Amino acid sequence: MDKRNGFLSVLAIVLITLVTLRLGNGYTANLITWMAIAALVASSLRFVTLIGELNFATAAFVGLGAYAAGLTVTVLEWPFFIALAMSGLIAAIFGFMFGYVTLKTKGPYFLLIGFAFTEVVRLIYTKLNILGGNSGMVGIFPPDYLGSSFTALAIAIVGIAVMVLYAIERSHLGKCFIGIRDNDQVVLSVGINVHLTKVLCLTIAAFAAGIAGGLTAFVNNVISPGDFSFLLSTFALAYLKVGGEDHPVGPIAGAVLLVLLSSLSLSFGGQDHIFYGLAIVLTVLLMPKGVIGVLGKVCRSVRTRRQERRA
Amino acid sequence: MKKDSLPIVQTENISRRYGGLMAVSELSFEVYAGEILGLIGPNGAGKSTTFNLISGFVKPSSGKLYLNGKDVTGRTAAQISRMGLVRTFQHGSLMKSLSVQDNILIGAIGALPAGQRKARQERVRESLQMLELEPYLNEIAGNLPHGIQRLVSIAIAFAAHPQLLCLDEPLTGLNQTEAANTLNLLRRIRDLHQCAILMVEHNMKAVMQICERIVVLHHGQMLAQGTPAEIRSNKSVIAAYLGAKHAN
Repeated sequence: MDKRNGFLSVLAIVLITLVTLRLGNGYTANLITWMAIAALVASSLRFVTLIGELNFATAAFVGLGAYAAGLTVTVLEWPFFIALAMSGLIAAIFGFMFGYVTLKTKGPYFLLIGFAFTEVVRLIYTKLNILGGNSGMVGIFPPDYLGSSFTALAIAIVGIAVMVLYAIERSHLGKCFIGIRDNDQVVLSVGINVHLTKVLCLTIAAFAAGIAGGLTAFVNNVISPGDFSFLLSTFALAYLKVGGEDHPVGPIAGAVLLVLLSSLSLSFGGQDHIFYGLAIVLTVLLMPKGVIGVLGKVCRSVRTRRQERRA
Repeated sequence: MKKDSLPIVQTENISRRYGGLMAVSELSFEVYAGEILGLIGPNGAGKSTTFNLISGFVKPSSGKLYLNGKDVTGRTAAQISRMGLVRTFQHGSLMKSLSVQDNILIGAIGALPAGQRKARQERVRESLQMLELEPYLNEIAGNLPHGIQRLVSIAIAFAAHPQLLCLDEPLTGLNQTEAANTLNLLRRIRDLHQCAILMVEHNMKAVMQICERIVVLHHGQMLAQGTPAEIRSNKSVIAAYLGAKHAN
């Protein structure tokens, strides 16, 4: 990440965190938290697209993170920050194992395996009494000392996680990910272990998704298997497509827009799925590069006009 | 070429069978340090399979592969590359959405372990200079003309620090000037870095011009090997390429 972008990102995170601190625990603060968590889930999904794969197991990793946080806090009674770390760690461990076995496949095969994994993991939650079965887990509260600042903390954590993902994308490792997406044979031919590099990418993405899951558990206080079905991955894909997948800000823009739309739909009696569907169709037809793609185009044309005027 | 020394690569009766088809049969040849060896043959002769076999992209059905005297039969492509044998591909040997600099960086990453960031950047700079690609440093590789893309693919392989550079049809699609320039650059790589080059190429004029030794394949077997002059006058080679009546 270059210095200017890094500074602007930190500034944005600090500003949003401060605004949320002022908002306290109200509906708007909760809405911003939901946007942030959705943005992290979509960023995790986008991270795996760097190696050219669509990871529909994202929902499973969010769920594993949420249940890991729930178990750590309610059963083991460990502190909040350890629970949050566990949510990322458990998801990452499962991500590594899942990736090691499945990333020998590509494209639609990998996507379908991810979809099946998500549904199998969801069914396992329903069968395990320790996880609350079909009813799920209750009483996953953040510590009292955080009070109303929990929302701000959640946003700060999401902000840092997204920035770390971006920093990795810009690093040498990130170049390897993109190289694999473009031409994995060439990457292999220069001595890089393509399979393990792909597994590493998925593990990092699973860690981020796990953190998003942990935060979901603490924000919601209640989790159930139905929260982590393949629909969650589909929503993440919608955030990504609407926002634009070429830039790390894309999933954030998509999540903000769609979570806001979904919230507005409540006043029309719910049916947020219709908004998601409509947003995807309109984006694919009118803005194939997403909102960020359109904004980038506008910025470029303004810059060109200015340069022409100066000339 | 130092024939008295240990060869960089040695194949010993290496074979590859695809179902009922014997793509390469009992092939034995060596590549020595600093030499430029051509691998030629009509279409379907087994050149690409031989390339895949020695670079570890395909496992041999039988036979042995040695790198610097060490048996590496069955090793993965990444392992063989890390031991100094780096290859390019006939179609598209680059990452089209990355800049030229980042493409070459991938090669350097393969050769130098994590933590050697500066050494990697130095290797990229050296490769850019060697292949005269500095003007295209920040260009997206997929947007470049075909001739430059070919050089980028060689630069990626060069950045991986090869002892043996295996080039699969490096001159395909190049005009005469580009081909001549590429040949000069290949000679320079060999002369300055003592890097051996094994090339599969259909441009016979270029092969005769640059290679010190040529191995001719036909129906998966070695038909002949020798200097360009020997190959040019070899009757079996002429027969394989032009038909038996031209050989007499």
